[in-house]
Amino acid sequence: MHVSLRGITVDFGNLRAVDKVSLEANAGEIHAVVGENGAGKSTIMSVLYGSNTDFSGKILCNGKKVSWSSPKDAIKAGIGMVHQHFMLVGNLTVLENIALGNESINQFGFIKFNTIRANILGIVSRYKIHIDLDELVDNLSVAQRQIVEIIKLLYRESMVLILDEPTAVLTPNERAIFFQSLKNFKAENKTIILITHKIDEVMDIADHVTVLRNGKLISSSQLEITNKEKISQEIVGEEIPRLNIKRGAYESKKILDVKDLIIKTNFTTKQAINFSINTGEIIGIAGVSGNGQTELVETLIGIRRASNGEINLLDKNVINANTQTRRMMGISFVPQDRQRDGLALGASVWENACITKVNDKKFSWGSFLRKKNMKAFSRSLIQEFNIKVNGPDALVRTMSGGNMQKLVVARELSSQCPLIIVENPTWGIDIGSIAFIHQKIMDIKSAGVAILLVSNELDEITSLSDGAFVMYEGTLSKRISKGKNFRELIGRHMLSGFNTYYSPTGSSPNE
Amino acid sequence: MIENFLDPEFFSSIARLTTPILLAALGGLICHRAGVFNIALEGFILLGAFMAVLGSYLGDSAFWGALSAILGGIFLAIVFSEFHLRRRGDPIVVSIAINLLGLGLSTYLLRSIFDVSGVFSHPNIHKLATINWPLLDSFWLLDLIFNDQSILFYIAILSTIAFHYFLKYHKIGLWIRVAGENQEALRSSGSNPVQVKFFALLICGIFCGLAGAQLSISNVGLFVENMSAGRGWIAVVVVLLCAGRPIPLFFLIILFGVVDSLSLRIQGLGLPQQITEMMPYIVSILVLVFVSFRRFRFSSKTHL
Repeated sequence: MHVSLRGITVDFGNLRAVDKVSLEANAGEIHAVVGENGAGKSTIMSVLYGSNTDFSGKILCNGKKVSWSSPKDAIKAGIGMVHQHFMLVGNLTVLENIALGNESINQFGFIKFNTIRANILGIVSRYKIHIDLDELVDNLSVAQRQIVEIIKLLYRESMVLILDEPTAVLTPNERAIFFQSLKNFKAENKTIILITHKIDEVMDIADHVTVLRNGKLISSSQLEITNKEKISQEIVGEEIPRLNIKRGAYESKKILDVKDLIIKTNFTTKQAINFSINTGEIIGIAGVSGNGQTELVETLIGIRRASNGEINLLDKNVINANTQTRRMMGISFVPQDRQRDGLALGASVWENACITKVNDKKFSWGSFLRKKNMKAFSRSLIQEFNIKVNGPDALVRTMSGGNMQKLVVARELSSQCPLIIVENPTWGIDIGSIAFIHQKIMDIKSAGVAILLVSNELDEITSLSDGAFVMYEGTLSKRISKGKNFRELIGRHMLSGFNTYYSPTGSSPNE
Repeated sequence: MIENFLDPEFFSSIARLTTPILLAALGGLICHRAGVFNIALEGFILLGAFMAVLGSYLGDSAFWGALSAILGGIFLAIVFSEFHLRRRGDPIVVSIAINLLGLGLSTYLLRSIFDVSGVFSHPNIHKLATINWPLLDSFWLLDLIFNDQSILFYIAILSTIAFHYFLKYHKIGLWIRVAGENQEALRSSGSNPVQVKFFALLICGIFCGLAGAQLSISNVGLFVENMSAGRGWIAVVVVLLCAGRPIPLFFLIILFGVVDSLSLRIQGLGLPQQITEMMPYIVSILVLVFVSFRRFRFSSKTHL
């Protein structure tokens, strides 16, 4: 189905989120819509999907003007969308989730689950998808959930598939499979609109690319007549600063030494974890998300108790210390979920900026807070980290994801701890903020801070870290040193698990 | 001694004690599943009980009593919806207001319509029909439990089963579950979560109204100020305990009824009333501890 959006404008209060954007997507085409967070990609798609009806401009399907009053109308017309945050219900089975919104029912309103099941099994076998229809969605991996979302669209016989950041949660392997199915859909003359901020993916798979920036249409062209550099520049609007690496002067010593640590995970193998980090060193922990990285981080910062082992921070074993003590002894921590673990969304910027520092004499007077100093400190962080917010009194809830993350990173990096643990520091934020945060991490490295970088982004690990481990089913690989084939070695470990990779007589991958 | 406990009255009283709670809890259950935090069941029941007496008295039949009890419940459900769903009021605040409203309104109407305070009883108040199944007469225990109960007792049991299948296999049942779990998912599938929640509140109003009718016009045929006496709160607790699942809800309420009934008898043994009245609650807490302990043990999360 040919869809076209003509002169779409969307206002959120005083903010013009989308400004006269037009877009044409043909049947049998993969149309990529790229841009930074806040560029208006998701907003314009919510217009097409009918979940935003407050806009000016026209929507045409196969040349005919249409208007939706709710997603229901769009769905009926054959438009389907997979949201970045999946619209699945965890406590329902796969079958129930797919049936939702398109229930075929008998005369009493009861759902004909047998008919629906047969239909879905037809789709599943046509596209060679493996999924257990009676499993609860809560028990599925992220990649499997995405498959459920896509089956939902296929089941509704959608002719237009809108996919919002579909690969953000996939491993390289899963991504390849996913792209293959996109090609299958394309061959069936479906229209695929792919929202992404990963340019490599666009180059891999798209036929047509539309670039948005600050709510405006920057360019829209066939992939053949553009190139990667041009697209990146159009996205950012300026050149992305290159990582600036300098070496500071500091005494080299061991900051963190983890010995025979057994973490509590759901994996059957309980292998001891050993590694250490020196001053000015960034150690990366790579791996597909859900392989025990979060459990390891929680154990290190003291949210989760370890079964056994030692965590030596500056030669002191902190295994029995609680989180606050560990923080005071010199661990600072950037959690992966800024909204859940990193910030209090309903509190102000200054409260969030100082929450880890209330014991500091500068910020408290007995048990009373020294608000003035706290606000002044917050102002300096806002300036130093270029956080876009209306001053220290603004509520954190009102900030964009990238600025929230900058605030967390600013708070933790300003703690002057000898060790900082950062977990997926650039998850879901725009390219500009990613570059900024990476530069800040490199800056404190050169000041001699030891850094543990846990990330699902292979590129992040390879560009920042001095050495890396891969975590797979709760166990840690051997250390992979930076050098030739760094990326390939990590990638292979991530995919296959190193147990199968190391043959008993084989050589270490470092050689 | 055992005869003291297991006399015929013991068994027939279980149904009497549990039916109002079961009816109210079924209403609360639908709200719980739809994601409406409704702890105003107490107020719903109380107004239902008064309206049952009023309808029965004015309409000269128990049918009108039950119908007006339902209308009373629906009225409060609409008030709840107006303030919680449309005006986005906090459900706890709205619930408390409605509980107070239920008490105040029923007391006020009692005094202004019937010109009595405390208790209103009148020969004109018709009681709900009871049903006798001749087939069960020869089975001693079944006869005691299932025979000669008010019609609402059977409706409550049938509704429990119906709710189970409704939630699991009916379109609106599925919507209710989704509204409670992830309303954005419901919206994106093309249904309106507010409408689904309103529907759940209406069902809740109907069932709480019936619970009130069961209190005032099934066994006694009179209205006493504040006669719901905490049953709405028990229903709230039971709904939370069983996580909104109808079948466990049913058995939990039976357990509660059995202990409640037993505690009346233990009083006869000389234990202080204050202690025996605690028993149903203590058992509830023990069940709660047991259930959450098991959940804790088998949960994969090992957070502190």
